[in-house]
Amino acid sequence: MSNIFDFKLVFTQIPNLLLYLPITLELAIISMILGITLGLLLAIVKIREVPVLKQIATFFISLIRGTPILVQLYIAYFGIPMFFKWLNYQYGTDFKVADVSGFIYAVVALGINQSAYNAEFIRAALLSVGTGQIEAASSLGMTYFQALRRIILPEAITVALPSLGNSLISVIKGTSLAFTCAVVEMTAQGKIIGGRSYRYFEVYISLAIIYWVITIIIEQILKLIEKRLAIPDQVANYVPEDEVRA
Amino acid sequence: MIKIEELSKRYHDNIVLENVSLDINEGDVIGIIGPSGTGKSTLLRCIDQLEVPESGFISLGDKKIDLSKKNKKDIYEIRQNTGMVFQRFNLFEKKTVLENVMEGLIVVKNLPKEEARKIALEELKKVGMTAWANHYPKHMSGGQQQRVAIARALAMKPKLLLLDEPTSALDPELVGEVLDVIKEIAGKGFTMLLVSHEMSFVRNVSNRVIFLDKGHIVEDGTPAEVFDHPKNQRTKDFFAKMNLMNQPDYII
Ligand SMILES: Nc1ncnc2c1ncn2[C@@H]1O[C@H](COP(=O)(O)OP(=O)(O)OP(=O)(O)O)[C@@H](O)[C@H]1O
Ligand SMILES: [Mg+2]
Repeated sequence: MSNIFDFKLVFTQIPNLLLYLPITLELAIISMILGITLGLLLAIVKIREVPVLKQIATFFISLIRGTPILVQLYIAYFGIPMFFKWLNYQYGTDFKVADVSGFIYAVVALGINQSAYNAEFIRAALLSVGTGQIEAASSLGMTYFQALRRIILPEAITVALPSLGNSLISVIKGTSLAFTCAVVEMTAQGKIIGGRSYRYFEVYISLAIIYWVITIIIEQILKLIEKRLAIPDQVANYVPEDEVRA
Repeated sequence: MIKIEELSKRYHDNIVLENVSLDINEGDVIGIIGPSGTGKSTLLRCIDQLEVPESGFISLGDKKIDLSKKNKKDIYEIRQNTGMVFQRFNLFEKKTVLENVMEGLIVVKNLPKEEARKIALEELKKVGMTAWANHYPKHMSGGQQQRVAIARALAMKPKLLLLDEPTSALDPELVGEVLDVIKEIAGKGFTMLLVSHEMSFVRNVSNRVIFLDKGHIVEDGTPAEVFDHPKNQRTKDFFAKMNLMNQPDYII
């Protein structure tokens, strides 16, 4: 080996890895949407203290948070097909288990994993909206879900934004485990490239740089969104239209 | 017009309202006074269904709702007929003044945006807050926020307006502007229940005054009857204490 560390290779192979960035991002975004939706549902169930569902939610969150994501991915990959095969066998249904791609299993596992973490900060954000505003909405005649959509969520989202950002960053990093479900995303591609040249170290450095840059970009986007959502410090007085014309 | 019968509310062993009945006629401006902790807020909140009473009936016109057996539809019907003005304004923080007033019209009354906007601007004009339509609650003083909150409640055209100490969270110099607005809407024939510690204002604006003591209505009459000739000893004591507190400092 001429040189121990091929510095140039670290950068020249980045484009090869970036070919798989779309898969990484798809995994992350779909898991994130699933994680937020499910997390919101869990949070509402806990806040509204829905009987039975609340116990199930607590159990579910504890289970997910108490087990490693790698194990969850394996369970999804092996367990879900087994479950459907069993259904087919028991009830004569005809789920085409073999056609389901690993991508689906990975998204399900990552999304569910994320939801358990999201539920806690979403709950805190929803509760941070003062009861006064919720009572005002109720007294106008709004239902809880109308108040949730129109009053609570718009304010809670500003509170939740930093945690949502962390959650997105962690799910992007989590996608690097999707190889367990036979999905070739960026990290898996890196391993393949490394396997060809035996320059594993370089490839991991390249990957580290890419993930880091993505994280920095996300942080910047979040800062922008935060600014957009903030209430402006000052606005101009309202002038009625008839006075404008006069 | 709106009739409350045998309303009872308790928190565990603490009986806050006991069989309170109240017949509200159209155009009544009823001042509710009484010592702290006697259930004035609770009464208003039970009428607006923000608090769940154990028992009681509310009649809206011909319809009588049993509060111990009410369903969600009943609650929304009662709330559509009543409007609430809170001590702490409770404006929607992330919405502009205009959006605050439009909100109920759009979401609850399903009015088209343009129409809601028109109504909201009219209501804001009545409380002298038109120029502030684009502002957010955090930009405004308490008095201004409360005027917007009144406009928000009035925009829904409630049959009954409930005001729970609308000026007691305000700095003294801001009380006047809110009282002026309330006086104006009272003059327009709006029916309202007004809980307030501003005795001279209550006397001035109401056509009927109720004294609530330990969850019971112990006095119910014209302002002159209640303030000048209270029948109940508790009421007399209350006014005596009030007068003592209101005496100018230099006498003490
Ligand atoms: N959530 C609650 N849990 C337990 N007790 C409560 C609760 N809310 C109110 N109470 C009690 O009910 C009683 C009546 O309260 P309420 O707020 O209606 O009084 P009020 O007449 O409006 O007093 P104030 O003039 O101080 O506003 C009080 O003794 C209060 O401690
Ligand atoms: Mg009170």
